[in-house]
Amino acid sequence: MTQFNVLLIKEFLECWRSFKLLWIPLVFVFLGVSDPLLNYYLEDILAAVGNMPEGFQMMFPELKPADLLLASTGQFQLIGLIVLVSAFIGSISRERANGTATLMYVRPVSATAMFMSKWIMASVVGIVSATLGYAGSMYYTSILYGSVAVSDFLAMLCTYFVWIIFVMAITVSMSAAFHTGVAAAIAIIILPIGLLIDQVIGSFWAWTPWKLANYGVEFVAGTVDTGDYRATLIITLVLIVMFMLFGIWSTKRNWQLTKV
Amino acid sequence: MSLLNVEHLTKSFTGKTVVDDVSFTIEPYSATALIGPNGAGKTTTMSMITGLLKQTSGTVKLTGERDIRASIGFLPQYPQFFPWLTALEYVEMAAKLSGVTTKNVRERSIKTLEYVGLGNALHKKTSTFSGGMKQRLGIAQAIVHEPKLLLLDEPVSALDPIGRLEVMNLLKELQQQTTILYSTHILHDAEKMTDQVLFLKEGQLVEQGSLTAIQQKYADPKYCVQFASEQAAMVFASKMKVQRDGLAVYLPVDRSMQEILQLLAQEQAEIIKVERITASLDEIFMKVAGKLDTI
Repeated sequence: MTQFNVLLIKEFLECWRSFKLLWIPLVFVFLGVSDPLLNYYLEDILAAVGNMPEGFQMMFPELKPADLLLASTGQFQLIGLIVLVSAFIGSISRERANGTATLMYVRPVSATAMFMSKWIMASVVGIVSATLGYAGSMYYTSILYGSVAVSDFLAMLCTYFVWIIFVMAITVSMSAAFHTGVAAAIAIIILPIGLLIDQVIGSFWAWTPWKLANYGVEFVAGTVDTGDYRATLIITLVLIVMFMLFGIWSTKRNWQLTKV
Repeated sequence: MSLLNVEHLTKSFTGKTVVDDVSFTIEPYSATALIGPNGAGKTTTMSMITGLLKQTSGTVKLTGERDIRASIGFLPQYPQFFPWLTALEYVEMAAKLSGVTTKNVRERSIKTLEYVGLGNALHKKTSTFSGGMKQRLGIAQAIVHEPKLLLLDEPVSALDPIGRLEVMNLLKELQQQTTILYSTHILHDAEKMTDQVLFLKEGQLVEQGSLTAIQQKYADPKYCVQFASEQAAMVFASKMKVQRDGLAVYLPVDRSMQEILQLLAQEQAEIIKVERITASLDEIFMKVAGKLDTI
């Protein structure tokens, strides 16, 4: 346990001093506030820019708070996800390749402590970023469009946390299993591209981890199917445990890949 | 009772045997030099002893320890540190990971850093360190938990002559408190601190013993007489029925120096010098490494 703590502190210091704990949350805040602001002021912006033909009438749909949270979620799922994956995809493989892991691995350190410290710190960064991002989105949504129930908002947030933990389990375990390049390719295929595929042909099934974030937003909209939500949540949690075990196993298996 | 027992250690990578059936023992508080040309398998051998690399066959046993990693300190040839940690943070982390209790860990880390000469760089980020400072930090992280066995891979090869001398002196001091196994391809460094020499060549242990014994074995002593002219050298060589190399004539050591001088006194030719020579360390290295058949 002591070693896990030591390693966790080391990971925290890395995220803090390399500014990962600053710039990744900032990206999420920017993504979060952009949708409510842009949608609300779009009419004014277009009017101010001008060049509209005489008598041109624009129809803007009436947006509900949940629509804006859904839009923000879309941003997090595309840009935010790529940022998170690329920030942590090298967390184990890069240390092995540049030799910094060597002086850790010669000490009596367990693969479990090594993997868990990295996964937990990556998840913390993701959770902090998502919280701030959604807080920013909610702040402007509530000012410009109206508020939502706090319990619904929290349910949505917690659902998204599970998704973030899932994303980080995949990212860090791929980093444990492969070289950075291969790991990045696989994580990008599973996560952002998986999301795209799920959006295109996902209407044929209801239970996949990729749908989890949208189910979270449906809490706010009040349209969630609790059965589907629960099944998706359970599937995601099971997959998290599986990726975690795979990650620990891979960390152990690739112990000797570290550069001496 | 010996501290480290290495038996029939072998490592093969897809058909190529890098370390081939290497066996040796190391006594407590001794210094052992692992010598060999580049690619002889020194680093691979070390990696297997540390447990970083799994051997194909053979055993490594540290007396009284189940997890060898708890009782060793290791300095790789090119130690890499986390650039965003300070020297003190790094050594403290290393100590804690090796199981030093948290009570006095900071105090001990500071002492260790002062000992290796980094007392004024405690709070500097390791990314600002020079090559010599990195090597010192590498030694600090290897000794902070007071390991029974210290493994150093080419500890001085990358340093300039001053740094080399300083680090060798440091290691000599350390040898009072711990057992050291280090690899090098520079015999002059080995000469400064060694009880036992292990010669590796193409993965095989071709020679082992004390450096003095090896020096004696490969010394190949002879007399070298140097003449002023090649003509005179030729005459003398044919008279003595021995080999000649330019102006120099080599004589076996079955005569005493006095006899040689008496023989030479009868010669008319001008003599520049007469001396008894033995193979230099470099020549021994080459001979053991099999690059030279005769010297």
